[in-house]
Amino acid sequence: MRSSTLNRLFALTLVATLAACQSTPEQEDTAETEQQDQQEQQEQQDTAEPEPTEPSEPAEAMDEEEEETTRPVTADNFHNHPSNYDASTDTRTVHFAFDKSTVPSAAFGALKAHARHLKSNSNARVRLAGHTDERGTREYNVALGERRAKAVQKYLRLQGVSSDQLETVSYGEEKPARRGTSDMDYAHNRRVEIEYRAGRP
Amino acid sequence: MRVLVGILLLWLCNVLHASELEIQVTQGRDDALPIAVVPFGTPDSDPPEDIGAIVAADLHRSGQFDPLPPEDLLSRPHGQEDMIWRDFRVLGTDYVVAGRVETTGEGQYRVRYGLYDVPRQEKVLSQTYEPSGKGLRDVAHAISDRIYEHLTGVPGAFSTRILYVTKNIDLERPYRLQYADADGARVQTILRSREPIMSASWSPNGKRVAYVSFEDEGMPGIYVHDLATAERRRVSSYPGINGAPAWSPDGDRLAITLSRDGNPEIYLLELGSGELTRLTDHYGIDTEPRWMPDGESLLFTSNRAGGPQIYEINVNTGNTRRVTFEGSYNARADVTPDGRFMVFVHRIDGDFHVAVKDLERGTFDVVTSTELDESPSVAPNGSMIIYATQEGGEGILKAVSMDGQVKVELPSREGEVREPAWSPFL
Repeated sequence: MRSSTLNRLFALTLVATLAACQSTPEQEDTAETEQQDQQEQQEQQDTAEPEPTEPSEPAEAMDEEEEETTRPVTADNFHNHPSNYDASTDTRTVHFAFDKSTVPSAAFGALKAHARHLKSNSNARVRLAGHTDERGTREYNVALGERRAKAVQKYLRLQGVSSDQLETVSYGEEKPARRGTSDMDYAHNRRVEIEYRAGRP
Repeated sequence: MRVLVGILLLWLCNVLHASELEIQVTQGRDDALPIAVVPFGTPDSDPPEDIGAIVAADLHRSGQFDPLPPEDLLSRPHGQEDMIWRDFRVLGTDYVVAGRVETTGEGQYRVRYGLYDVPRQEKVLSQTYEPSGKGLRDVAHAISDRIYEHLTGVPGAFSTRILYVTKNIDLERPYRLQYADADGARVQTILRSREPIMSASWSPNGKRVAYVSFEDEGMPGIYVHDLATAERRRVSSYPGINGAPAWSPDGDRLAITLSRDGNPEIYLLELGSGELTRLTDHYGIDTEPRWMPDGESLLFTSNRAGGPQIYEINVNTGNTRRVTFEGSYNARADVTPDGRFMVFVHRIDGDFHVAVKDLERGTFDVVTSTELDESPSVAPNGSMIIYATQEGGEGILKAVSMDGQVKVELPSREGEVREPAWSPFL
């Protein structure tokens, strides 16, 4: 378990380093900027990223499989792909599988970092904004987006965050991060955005 | 099937403004009735609208008529006195619309028209109107309504309006709630916002609209807006979802979706008193309520059986029954004014189409072939369904007849158009 974590940490450091080398990172707090950064990270990483394995998996087994299981980012694994997350409050977007509202395990580290920040800063307030891709009817998608926002809310509550610090809203398909209609565009759009209303880290 | 692309379209550029919707019939009916709409005579005036062109475009857009191009006319009568029947008989057209526009004063007009039956050589309809310049389009649509009703037996819906939402990301306030005449002319903007506007719905008398707006710090509220006075008030802003307002047929209540009790449920909101009654009680998603015309029951979307399906609930007894069983995704119902046909969004092989279900016989038909079709809304005469779809990544509006035979396109000139709602008779 330890070596697997280390391995992932190494990979994430690599991601961060490469991304930092890439270009001047923009500080704008827009979804588009975040997405773009993630995209850059993905591009850097699509051949170098080791697949996250079961935590109990022995390190040797993972090393053996590393070549085969090295996986490029696809629309199907996008929501749970480590390149979309780091274990800090810099990650502001949690992605979801098609028609799902399960918080992906790759996002746990980032959410725990947000939970720590919220718990140690009682003035901090977060809005969790749920979004869907554009397929399906609009009001039904508002309901699906709310499920995603509430799933993230529940995760943070289980980490001990006070309910007073969290609010949810759903925009359904009304505010896509990307305008296209490819499966990858849809993967980007299925998300919960973590928006600090006060006490941002 | 005959495809009529643009060529027959009698659409005059001078009545069209840049922001308006342009309408094209992409598929007409095989048996569309030939009709000659003679350009109206304007002996002493230069009216700001071309009545004959508007009437011809209306009739063409219904898909039921095949108006003759004006250049094919052998003679151009303006009344029975100068009608040469033979000129229309040889063109194979059984009906002729002819009329004239005269000036009666500054900006005042007198419009006279007749509908003529060529085989019988007689006038079957006629009327005189005295509008101002601004009223000329209304007169044209009223003429189209009467002709349509006389020849098809169904009231025309040309004097109605379409409510819709546009999004143009180049604007500082990208979201706009607008309405226009059923032919796309005379666009009016009701609301501009930085935040999304959605689910707009007409009051039964067509004087007010209800909609969801996220204008208050990005949080949703349901608003009721008077079109004539622009007065509006927020009627719902509970924690969670405030969505999907649908006006009851008597105009007194809104059916809405709220998640204030934990998950999305349908509520009835009494507009006078503000009294709220919860209607559904299920841990799944219940949303998208739509009233049946008798006001006794509501159609709504629920995923209580897994995926979204349409259900009907009696508002007095709470009795609920499932209405759709075809496929794994059926949602966002609308219903014809006679309550017989339900239109809704249906998914097949990952694509979303508009489907029609005959609630009496139980038959089911998919009537659109584009992808990502949504928000179907039925004309008040039950003839056509307007819906939103995508073309080249842009949201556009299309209309289709209830039987799928007639297809009409309403491309937008700027940005996306979505969520059309056809007005009641006004």
